[in-house]
Amino acid sequence: MKRRTLILSGLAGTGALLVGWSMLPARSRLGTAEMLMPSQGEVALNGWIKIAQDGSILMAMPRSEMGQGIHTALPMLVAEELDVPLDQVRIVQAGLDSIYGNVAMFVASLPFHPKQDGSGLVKTSEWMTGKLARELGVVVTGGSSSVADAWGSVRIAAATARAQLAQAASKKLGVPVDQLVFHGGKISTSQGAGGGKSVNFAALASDAAAIKVGDVKLKEAKAFKLIGQAAPRTDVPAKVTGTAQFGMDVRLPGMVYAAVKLCPMLGGAAGSFDSTAALKIKGVERIVQLPALGGGTAGLAVVGTSTWHARQGAAAIEVQWQQRSLGALDSAKIEKELAAIATQGGGFAFHSRGDADAAEKAASRTVDALYSAPYLAHATMEPMNCTAQLAGGKLTLWVPTQVPKMARDMAAKAAGMSSDDVTVNVTQLGGGFGRRLEVDFILQAVQVAKFTDGRPVQLMYSREEDMTHDVYRPAHAALLRASIDANGRIASLRIQSAGDAITPRWFERALPLLAGPVDAPDKTTAEGLFDLPYDFAHQHMSHSATKMGVPVGYWRSVGHSHNAFFSEGFIDELAYATQTDPLAFRRQHLSGEHAKRHLAVLDLAASKAGWSSKPAVGHARGIALHESFNSVVAMVVEVSMQGNEPRVHKVTCAVDCGQVINPGIVAQQIEGSVVFALSAALWGKIDIEGGIVKQQNYPQYRMLKLAETPQVETHLVPSTQAPTGIGEPGVPPLAPALANAMFALTGKRARSLPLMQA
Amino acid sequence: MELQINGKAQTVSDTAAMDGTMPLLWVLRDVLNMTGTKFGCGVAACGACTVRVDGQAVRSCVTPSSSVVGKQVQTIEGLGADKLHAVQQAWITEQVPQCGYCQSGMLMAAASLLEKNPAPTDAQIDEAMTNICRCGTYQRVRAGIHRAAKMLQGAPA
Repeated sequence: MKRRTLILSGLAGTGALLVGWSMLPARSRLGTAEMLMPSQGEVALNGWIKIAQDGSILMAMPRSEMGQGIHTALPMLVAEELDVPLDQVRIVQAGLDSIYGNVAMFVASLPFHPKQDGSGLVKTSEWMTGKLARELGVVVTGGSSSVADAWGSVRIAAATARAQLAQAASKKLGVPVDQLVFHGGKISTSQGAGGGKSVNFAALASDAAAIKVGDVKLKEAKAFKLIGQAAPRTDVPAKVTGTAQFGMDVRLPGMVYAAVKLCPMLGGAAGSFDSTAALKIKGVERIVQLPALGGGTAGLAVVGTSTWHARQGAAAIEVQWQQRSLGALDSAKIEKELAAIATQGGGFAFHSRGDADAAEKAASRTVDALYSAPYLAHATMEPMNCTAQLAGGKLTLWVPTQVPKMARDMAAKAAGMSSDDVTVNVTQLGGGFGRRLEVDFILQAVQVAKFTDGRPVQLMYSREEDMTHDVYRPAHAALLRASIDANGRIASLRIQSAGDAITPRWFERALPLLAGPVDAPDKTTAEGLFDLPYDFAHQHMSHSATKMGVPVGYWRSVGHSHNAFFSEGFIDELAYATQTDPLAFRRQHLSGEHAKRHLAVLDLAASKAGWSSKPAVGHARGIALHESFNSVVAMVVEVSMQGNEPRVHKVTCAVDCGQVINPGIVAQQIEGSVVFALSAALWGKIDIEGGIVKQQNYPQYRMLKLAETPQVETHLVPSTQAPTGIGEPGVPPLAPALANAMFALTGKRARSLPLMQA
Repeated sequence: MELQINGKAQTVSDTAAMDGTMPLLWVLRDVLNMTGTKFGCGVAACGACTVRVDGQAVRSCVTPSSSVVGKQVQTIEGLGADKLHAVQQAWITEQVPQCGYCQSGMLMAAASLLEKNPAPTDAQIDEAMTNICRCGTYQRVRAGIHRAAKMLQGAPA
């Protein structure tokens, strides 16, 4: 069959190009062959694509695999454009040139209400931010943005490579480009013309590399063969044989191991210490003092011939720990303060529409509720670790990281050398969830490497160190108030939330270039409250950014992780306050063009869950709808009580994440998000007393297990719109849907997480 | 100290293994460089370090290496050494892993379960599979075990 997608090689002008990020000149991210550093026998066609001697495609992979399937999804984009099977595309770690930066993530961080899309201010800001992000070239995996970012850049790179190959083939085979057929890494003359000759990519690569092409047209959705298919993940075989290499699996000649013993009091430091006993242990060789690095807490590292030796050494050191100068952190006190600040209101108004004050004065009644959520740890299965070697004026890192470029630059600074002398090898990540956007553990490894005489050192946290020295999801509180008019209709919605801003702190730790003297309003902590899809005439949403002193960071779905619980819990309250079915109430308030997507998702979840049917005796259902990372997810949770504990039987999910690249991976992400969110909703809480995190290990920071896992169903709303996020959007709706189901069952409204208070 | 690991004798010095007090996990990982077995919690709570000792699933992070002398230790490296074990094949078919970090332990626990109980019920799977997975692959772990059980009865992968 002749491919309908034409290659408009040589055409000038940008009009032919239609991509998701239409305002961004994605072609400026095409890069050059040199960026790919082709080795013997390989030919690079641009900064993303090179052809190996065996004709397989090597693509530059700038994103980290932490379970989200990106090492499968991005090669699928390349395979689709080049019409090769997925297993013909292999990945090589991308360099740190700016073309590999994540532009989509930065553009998505702008604090605009979705209904403002298309306004001049929004367009200008997006253009400016896009330009800045492209120039900075921040190579980061986060914000559920990898596919959205690649939808333009990677596909254009692959389509450009295709155009180059096509022109080379045209010359070689003597037929026009539009009569060529791509199939499995070969280019053939279409039937009838030229006698059915064909030539493979490898034979064309050198000629193709010399050809410059202009704008290219991307394959149209109706021609997709691979995109939209549940292709098996490319990383799975190595993950079932134990051969996938995670950070802590790095083994190098002469390598030593380091354990950390950080000040148990967050922000504190090590005073005097006695290392005599530790150094008497055979195989423990050295103690290294660690200042507070990358936003982490100060302490000590112990170097030994194995991790176990190093840990025995760490346990044997007596340290006089010092509390931080600002006094001990106390989460219970902070939570009270946040509730008071939220009740008082103020802060930055992220969204205002109509006149909420006047509506409240005119109302016949108001409904008020104070919601709260605690600090949370990431608790990735693979604890924080980094392997570092300082030798011959070069620093080499092997590290499971979401931020290789920040890692390189901050490590260079810490080692007092140029970034050009630092190499970062990104391994597989044993979970990320935002924790590996940080550089604290990397800088600690560099600090230790200064004392290991050129030998590589693998620094690894124990579970206890990992859990007690995290950057935590910030605790938040929110006051929500609705006014109801004389006709029993919702007139206004006011939300006042309070909690620490994350982005300014992250910039200080990992990207000081962007850390300003004053904190800019941080969308990431307010998202999911100010950008609700409901059409209440009068709305006012403000967030008070606090600075409580607990290290805070991005935690899978970030602000949405608590804000969806607040907003969708309160929406449920309003349904009951107006004697309306929770599904019907939401439907009533989803009007206009913008809400069509939300309505479709909500209806799909409700119908698949049989919302209108009666649940089993002793069971109840709850529903929640939430947009995050430009995707919309609705969930219906079915629950019963078994003693004092809720038992979640089934979670029916509906998702609109734009064009689906791989529905198998989307389902995995939703299933995983439900489990991740359910652990947090039921039990997740980090308490800090006297500056010390009380939860030390999994037994005190309970995780959902297989026996407690509900049946999860994922239903997709078909779409050919540009892809949006999927790694995180499944997290936010779970907690409110569960709390709403528990209300339906017990009549008790939960406004504070976790639902099971210890 | 001589250990039998995946059917092969491995000699480990007393210095390296701290006179046998070093947990089996660290002997495997740091002394023998067999990194398929993972560290997760160090307190036998998460199961990432699960290996089989004389066929039984054990948590190697709390198992002193001296205690397995004279016993047969099997790690993920030995599970499908000649041909992928049914659980490994089923894991691929069901697309179980996400980050994959916990899956070595998950697979060893599943293989151990199926050896004792070739056709486990959901309730029996619930009881046997207590490993933690932060990516939340449990639903597919369950499906993978059922599939592997059928494969062991002769069904195709």
